[in-house]
Order: sequence, then structure tokens, then C-alpha cells
Amino acid sequence: MHSDKKLTKEDTWRPEDLRRYVREEKGQSDGGVRRREGSDRKHRAGESTERRHRDPEKESRRERDKHRERESTRDRGEGDRKDRHVEQRKEGSRDRRGDKERDRRDERDKEKERMKERDRLVDGKRQSDDYGGNKDRKTDKEDKHDRERDQERHRNKEKDRVRDGERRNREDGDKGREDREKERRREERDREHRTERERRRREESGDVGRDRIEKNDREKRERPKDDREEKRTDKERRERHGDRKPSEQKEERGKEYKEEPRRHKEERERRHKEGGRDDPKRKHDSESRDTKRSGEEERHRRGDRERGDGDKQRERRHREDKDPERKHREGRHREEEEDPERNERDKKSVSDKSHRPETNTVKAAEVETELWTTSDVKDVGDTEEPVVDDEDLVDQQYEDDFEDYEEDFEEMDPSENEDEDEKEAEEPPPVGEEREEVTAQKRKEIEAIQRAMNEENERVGTDHSTQSTSREEEDAPKLSRGLEKNHSRASQRGKFIDFVAAKQREVSKKVSTKQKKRSTELLKLIDLDFSMTVSLLDLPPVNEYDMYIRTFGTANTKQAYVQCNEDNADRDVQTEEIEVSERWTQHPPEHSGACGDSNFSQEAQGRNMYEMNFDSQRLSAFLRSASQVLVVLLEESQAERKSLSKLRTQKDKLSFSDGSLQLNTKLPFLYGRHISLVHFSQVQRHTMMSVHAPTTKPSSVRLNSCTLICIWNIWEPSRPQKILVYESEVQCCCFSPGKATLVFAGTSVGSVVLWDLREQTSNHYCLKIGEEEWTFRQPTFSTSAVMAASAHLSSVSSVEVVPSTAAGGLRPEVPLLASEEESSGLSFQLASLDESGVLNFWVVVELPKANEAGSPTDLGLRPGGKVKLLHSSSLLTAERVSPRDAVKTGPLQTLHLKFLPSDSNHFFIGTNMGLVNHGTSHSLKATPKFYRFQEPGVRPVDVTSIHFSPFRQNMFLVGCGDGSIRLHTVSHEQPVAEWRSSTAGEPVVALQWAHTRPAVFCVLDAASHLHVWDLLKSDTEPVLTERISADRVTAMAVFGDSGKQNTYSGIALVHESGKIEMQYFTRDFTVTVPAEEEKLETMMTEAF
Amino acid sequence: MESSDTFLIRPHHQHKFKPAVVKECIREIVREKLSGVQYDPEEVPQLSKTLADSVKEKVKNAGFDRYKLVVQVVIGEQRGQGVKMSSRCLWDADSDNYAEDVYLNDSLFCLVAVFGSYHY
Repeated sequence: MHSDKKLTKEDTWRPEDLRRYVREEKGQSDGGVRRREGSDRKHRAGESTERRHRDPEKESRRERDKHRERESTRDRGEGDRKDRHVEQRKEGSRDRRGDKERDRRDERDKEKERMKERDRLVDGKRQSDDYGGNKDRKTDKEDKHDRERDQERHRNKEKDRVRDGERRNREDGDKGREDREKERRREERDREHRTERERRRREESGDVGRDRIEKNDREKRERPKDDREEKRTDKERRERHGDRKPSEQKEERGKEYKEEPRRHKEERERRHKEGGRDDPKRKHDSESRDTKRSGEEERHRRGDRERGDGDKQRERRHREDKDPERKHREGRHREEEEDPERNERDKKSVSDKSHRPETNTVKAAEVETELWTTSDVKDVGDTEEPVVDDEDLVDQQYEDDFEDYEEDFEEMDPSENEDEDEKEAEEPPPVGEEREEVTAQKRKEIEAIQRAMNEENERVGTDHSTQSTSREEEDAPKLSRGLEKNHSRASQRGKFIDFVAAKQREVSKKVSTKQKKRSTELLKLIDLDFSMTVSLLDLPPVNEYDMYIRTFGTANTKQAYVQCNEDNADRDVQTEEIEVSERWTQHPPEHSGACGDSNFSQEAQGRNMYEMNFDSQRLSAFLRSASQVLVVLLEESQAERKSLSKLRTQKDKLSFSDGSLQLNTKLPFLYGRHISLVHFSQVQRHTMMSVHAPTTKPSSVRLNSCTLICIWNIWEPSRPQKILVYESEVQCCCFSPGKATLVFAGTSVGSVVLWDLREQTSNHYCLKIGEEEWTFRQPTFSTSAVMAASAHLSSVSSVEVVPSTAAGGLRPEVPLLASEEESSGLSFQLASLDESGVLNFWVVVELPKANEAGSPTDLGLRPGGKVKLLHSSSLLTAERVSPRDAVKTGPLQTLHLKFLPSDSNHFFIGTNMGLVNHGTSHSLKATPKFYRFQEPGVRPVDVTSIHFSPFRQNMFLVGCGDGSIRLHTVSHEQPVAEWRSSTAGEPVVALQWAHTRPAVFCVLDAASHLHVWDLLKSDTEPVLTERISADRVTAMAVFGDSGKQNTYSGIALVHESGKIEMQYFTRDFTVTVPAEEEKLETMMTEAF
Repeated sequence: MESSDTFLIRPHHQHKFKPAVVKECIREIVREKLSGVQYDPEEVPQLSKTLADSVKEKVKNAGFDRYKLVVQVVIGEQRGQGVKMSSRCLWDADSDNYAEDVYLNDSLFCLVAVFGSYHY
């Protein structure tokens, strides 16, 4: 409230301005300070007179509003008294007041007021307790008397409403206030005028500055005494009004200030009048009046005294209440806005300055008030106590209060302050003579300001009243008890209310500052940061189709889809992938290898095939060997049995024969063919091949124009192991050294061909004849038309394997280890001799891998073939013959080729001159150059055969076309022996040493006579001659094995009919006889 | 005095705002209250308020000491429209946290976000 007032004041009056005014006017009056300083003293000195001076004046002034005024004053006075003395108040002099008013006001104020009043009353009581028993009983009594009088006066009409007296009081006050409100402005103006007048009067009245000051002071002092009442009422009023109109309050107070004395007077007068009724009372009354008046002075004095005492007390209280006071003061200060507060302090300081001497008391008073208020707050629940002896105390307190009041005015109540200050500030000027000199302008200014302030206050007051009432209503329950309390308390209560609000504000402010501090402190410790923007919800919009499906999709419809190739639901391709494969083929498509897949598939297949082949190869290899063994075993046993029986039957037939067996040549494709050659492998002695010449006879088989070579196992006579095919006539043939895996042949067209017997049967042309399938193997390699430059230009008369062993090395009997040979690969030389004497050397090479597609560079190689011939060198061996001889005998023909078994560099070539030429392959000197007949000279005789002895490798037999047979050693030109007539002039067709006996050899002549020579028995003629006339023998080959376990020896006879008959020699010709080689030795030595 | 002020600027571990726990609370309540509920514009305001209150009560009882809680409930009709919500906070990330849960049914979506701000 006060703060509000201050606010308003501040709003209208800037504190500086105000201060300036105050100062100025004080300065002008010059008495301001002094006045205050002196006030105390002067109070004591001559206050009563002063007051009296004033009172009449006031009275006179107040005559105007006598009626109401009286009432109000009386009321007030009574109220004051009541304040001091509760009981008194109970009777409530203002009962006269309309109940209605009371009621009206009751509604508004009663509860809170009551409470506060009561509180204050309690305080007052307490205070009065302090003073209880003081000298001021008198006044108490007076008061009591007054009270009694009042009671009487009011006839106790409304005793029931005793409690409400206060209220009534207040109502009165209110009413008065209301009335006053109306009058306020006028009064204000009046007051000012009055004050000025007063001052002037005072000045006039001869009271000089001091007096004036004194008076003023006294006034003040007095006023407090009156004002104690007044103040209460004022406070009350203020409180009440404060809610509504501070300005009103001010005005009232201002009015009251002046009215106080008047009131007293009136009261007195009234009492006087009434006094007639009850003397004692009147006496009392007058007394009281006197005392009232003098008592005021007394009180003043007393007050001073008391102030002395009270100072102590106050100090005590001060001390006691220091804290609360502080608090309160603080509270008050805080409750006020800071600026107003400051203003106020400034003001205070100003006033303090001016009130220097009083400051203590003022402060004390302040303390008091604060105490008051605090105790108000504190002692809400206190019980009432007798207040009889209150007065002094109350007086004392009133003094304090007054000071308080001043303080309050200064501090709290801007408008009041304004009024008062200005009164004070302005009063002095009128008091001072300088006052007069204060320019009218200034006064006008002040008046204007005041008016403005009033207006402002009114405004604010109305604003505030609502707030404060509400606030008060909150407080009301607390305050309800303080009803009886005097008015003056109310003003303090007003303060208290302010305190509540202020407290709240203070608390909130405290809290806020605290929190601010807290936050600043905390913020040092804490880092606040922006969190990442968190996505709380993200519902994507549903697309139209989904929406449709969601809303309508479930009604009478069914969504379905089908996709083949379900794994690829996400792919658009729904068809099977097209498989692509590349293949190739080749003509002639004779075997399955002639076609295949390309690149990867081929590789894959090839790999598969390879793997397959690998397995099947192993299997077939195993089967091949195993089946061969089995078949051989079976056939052997069978053949043996057969041959045995045959031998018995045919024993008489061939004298040398121990038995015979016939190879089954009655095969459809062999039918009608002439067998030109039979040849045994030197290593695999049971392997034989027969060369079947092409036939002109028509046959069911279309191979007529081809030469067939059949590879036989003599133990397996039922059928040939392999059948080789070649388009042209084969002149000569031989097996590979070591294992009989390769077959070489020289043809009449000059080509040298080669068969690899290891090739798969599947790779060759297969012909089904009858019920049996026969595989006809084409040559693996052919030199025909491929190596035109190096190939033979005439028919090849002889092919011979160049022995790989060095001179004096491997004996032909000792077979090379098959495995060794095979693993090391084929590596040997082949020599081919054609009729024109060209000797070609070939290197037999085995390729590591067969190429099914055939070799692009080596066109002679059959697709899938692994072995080929590389031309190494060629020699012309026929130059030796002198041209003269050639003219005489015709061109030299080289017919037969043999290598020295012990030294492959030496070769022996049989010619058509009956000579055997001796040559070397590496230009070594060959001695003798040739081997001749016994008689020197050249005869045109073909050398039909040359055969080295398997036992004595430097000895060889030469058979000639004239039927002569020569035995040569390598080292001599002339023969060791020569038998001219052994065949009766028939040309020798074939001549061969026996394999088991060194001294035995067989000779077949063209007359189909077979001569068996045994040099041990006879070195002049054959020991045995067989004439086979029935089926002429066209070729023969000796076979046999000198192995220790199963020594056998025999001769294969090829008949004209195409039969091949194997004749086993008898024991005589098979078993080696000791001294055979010596015989040969002796023959050699004898010959030379 | 001021210098001797001490602050508890970090919650105890066991009292820390645990989004997982809160989320579970939310989920539980929302499931319970919204399962089978159709969107009704008349009822939704009240529903969201009660939902927020109950979530708040539940979370309060979860024992997050000194936490101030803010519960935000948004219920909207679901008609295929896109909704995007996000939040951003100025806070002390060490102690403050939030939990949210979304409930969807055929006719409505409901988002409940609980922000826990530590009171120092």
C-alpha cells in the first residue's frame, strides 16, 4: 500500500524534485533542521501553550463541520481510547452510527480488521503491560471514565455488538472518511491554506522561528499524542482507505491532524455539556479533558521522559526486535520497489538530516512500529489482557508510533509523505518568514503538483484497493480477532498487509535471485547443448495403390500373382536360358575324337574325358594286360594240347619238327592274301607279324587294295592281336627295339610308315565282319608325301632299327626292361634303305600328349597319334660301285640292310652284285669295304638275305640268289665258308640262324625246300632237308627263346595258301650243344 | 556461503532417466489404453490428456529422482497421410534424456514422448 503510494508518488513526483523542494523550502525556512533539532527540547518547554494556541485556532476552524466532525472526532477519540482500552471501545461511542453503515462496513472489513486489530490490541496490551502500573494510571482512569461515560451516553444500546464497536468505529471512520473524501479536496486546499494561515498566524502570533519550530515540533509532538489516537484512526483509516484511496487517507490524516485538537476540544466541550449529567464523570471528563490536553502535554513530557525511559525500553526492544525489525524493514524496503525505496531512503536521509536529534527516537519509533507490526504478526493468537494501564504505554508507544508515523510518512506513504512532508516541508516555510517570500508561483506549482499527485494517488489507490482487499481477505481470518483494536493499529496493519505482499514479493524476489545465482553457478558447471534433432515419428504417406488396397482390397477381391522361375521373382526374364555349345568336327570321322566341344565346354569335357580316360585308361591298361595274359594262358594250354596231338599225327611229316601249330589266318579279310613276310620281334620273341599283300580276288571286305599286317602272339594263335592297314604294298617291316609297341614298315611307294600299337582301338576304324569286330589301324605316322625332300624316291627295300647300344654293348638276347623303355620314352633311330641306295636315318619321337585335332605342322601324324618320325640324316650308299661295273651289270640295287649289332655305326648292305657293302654312318673308315665271294670278281647275284649270328655277333650269313650261302666275319673280305650247291641252284629265299643253337641255321630256297644246317655235324651240307611240295612254303622265320626255363625253338612256315605253320624244332635242334661256338671259332681260324 | 554451495549436478546412476524403462512404461500404458480404439475426434483430446497423465504418473513412480518430466502425447488419425515429427532440446545431454514410443493401429497413430530434465 505504502509502497504503492510511494510508487504513485514516484510516478508523479520524482524523488529528486521532491527532495529539492523539501530542501529548498527548508533552506528557505531555514528552520527545518533547527526546528526539528529543537523540537524535543521545546516540546518539553512550552508545548502546552503552543498546543493551546493551536487548538482554539483549530477549533474555530472546525466549527464548520461541527456536527459530523464532532461525531467523527469523538468517534475517533473514543476509537483511540478504545484502541487503547478495549473495553472502552466495546461500548463503542459510535453506536449512534447507523447500523446499516456498520453492517456495510462490517461486510468489508470486519474480519481482517478484527484480526489485525486484535493483534494490535494484544500488542498494545503487551506494551501497555510494560507500562502497566506506571504513573499514567490517571489517564487510564480517565479513559475508563470516559469509557463509562461513553457507555452511559450510548446507553449500552448495542452491547451485544460490543465486539463490533471497532468496526463501527471503523465504519464511522469510513463514513467519515467517505464524507471526508468528498471534502477532501476542499479540505486539502483548506488545509494548505490553513497551514499557511496557521503558519502565518504563528508567525504573526509573535512566535519567532524558534517558537514556530517549537510549535511545529510540538504540533508534531502533540499530534502524535493526539495522533496516537489519530494515528490509530489514521492508520486504521489508512489501512481501510489505503485499500481504496491513499490520497483520501492522506487528506484525512491531514485533516485529522488539524482536526485532532479540534476533536479533543469538541469532545471536551461535549463532555462539559454532558458533564452536567454526571459530575464525577464530567469532572473526570474535564479532568480527562484537561489531562487530555495537559495530558497531552504531560504525555509529551512524559513521552519525553518516557522516551528517556522508553529509549531504554525501546533500545531493549530494539535489541530484542532488532532482527524482526530488520527483517521487517528489509521487507518493507524490499517490498517497495527499489527506486521508491531509495527515494524513500533519500527522503529519510533528508528528513533524518533535518531531524538529526530525533533520529534516534525516530529510529526507535521505527523500531517500535516494526516491532508493532512484527508483534502483530507474531501475536495473532494472543489473548486479550487488561488494558487498564495501557495508556502510558500506549502513549509511549504512540510517541513511538508517532515517530513511526513520521517515519512511515516519510518512508512509506508517499502521498502521506507528500502531504506530510510537504506539510512539513511546506509548513516550515509558512512558519518561517521566508515563507511569505516563497513565491506564489512556487506555491501554485506545489499545489498543482499536489493535485496531480492526488489524482494519481486516487487512481492508483483504486487500482490497488482491489488487490489489497483481496489480499486482506486472505489475511482476514487472522485478523478477525483484532476487531476491537484501535484505528491507529489499522494503519500499521496497512503496513502489515504491505508486508504480506511485500513478503511475497520479497520471497519471490529472493527466490528468483537465489535461483538466478544458482543458475549462474550451475551454468558454470553444466554444459547445455542442443540435442540432435530427434525424429520422433516418421510415417511415410501411403501410396495410392496401397491405400486402395487397404480400403477396398479386402472386399470380394483377391490379389494373386504367378511367376514361373520363382527364385527370380525380381527379374523380368522368365524364360529358360538358352544353352550354347560349340563343337567341331573333322574329316575323316573315323573315331570319336574327330569331334569335340569348343573352348570351355571342350575343356570341361576334355577334363572330364581326361579324368574318365585316366580311369578308363588305367582300367583298360589293366584289362588289356590281364586279358592278354589270360588269353595267352588259355590259348597256350589249348594250343599245346592241340599241337601235341598234331605233333603225334604229323611227326612223320617233318623230320625236324617236334610239333606244330597253325595260326588262324582263315579270317575273312585275310582270305586269299599272299603272305609276303613274317617277322619276329627280337625282344618279345612270341610276337610275330605277318604281312599280307593286297589281293586282287574279290572279297567281302573292302580292304583288298590295302596291305594288312597282322600282329600275332604265337601263344594265341586263334586270332591276330592287331591288324594294321596300309594303302600301298609293304616291302619290309620291323618291330621297335625292346617291347614290340611300334611297327615300322617301308613301302613300295617310298614311304616309311609307323604304327603305334598302344593306340586306343576306339580311335581306329572298326569293321564288323560277321559276328566279330575287327579294328584296322591306320599308320600313326607316314612319311609319304610329307617330307618330299628327304623321303625316299624309290621303294624302300629295308627298314632297320639302329641298335641303340654301343659297340660291344647290349646283347640282343637281353631284353630291355619294358618298363624302363616305356618310362623313358621312345628314343631311337630308324634307318630306311631304298633300292637306289639312299639310306635315311630317322629319329623316332614320342609326343608327350596326343592331339586329337591333329598336328597342324606335322601332317604325317595321324590325329591322336603320339609317335612320329623326324628325319635326321640321309646317306647315299650306292656310289661305290664303279660306273663300268654298273654298265656291265646294270644299276646297283641295294636290297638288304643290316646293322652290326655290336656297333650301330656299321651297316651292311646287300646289293644285287652279290656283294655286301660295309659302310659307316659317321664317315668312319670301314674295313673291309665289302664282302665278296670266295673268288674275286663281281657277279650279278642278288643278296637275298643277311643274318647275323645271335651268338657270334661278328659273323653273318649271306644268302644269294644263285643259291650260294656264305659265312662271313666282319673283319674279312672273303667268306669263312662258302656253300654253293646246297640248294641245288635254287635261289635262297630266306636264311636264318637258329635262336637256341649257335651252329644251326635254316635255309629256305625258292623250290620250297627247307634246309637245316648243323655245322657241328657237317660243315659241308645241311643235315636235314625238307621238301614241302604240297603247299609251297613262301616264307619262313625262325623263332625261339633261349630262356632256361622254357627253351623252345621253331620255325614259322608261311605256305602259299596263306597258312602260317609254327614248327617246333626237335630237341636236337633246340638244346644247345657245348663247343658249338668253338666250332664256329675253329671254322673262322681255319678259313684265314 | 555461496562458495560452499554444493550441487548435485549428476543424477545417481540408479536414478538416471532410463529411456528403455520409460519406453516400456509408455508402451504398456498405450497398449492398454489404445488397443482397439478407433479414432474419434471428439474423444481424442480427452484421451490424449488422460494418456499423458497416466504416463506421467507411471514414470513418476519409476524412481527418477529430481527429474522434471514433460509428457507429450500426440494422437492423430491415420488415413495414409505422411506424418513427420521431430523434437529438439536444449539440455544437458549428460543427465537429460527422452523416451518415445509410437503406437499404430488401423485408425490412429499415437506418439508419446517423455522428456526428463534433471533438476540440479
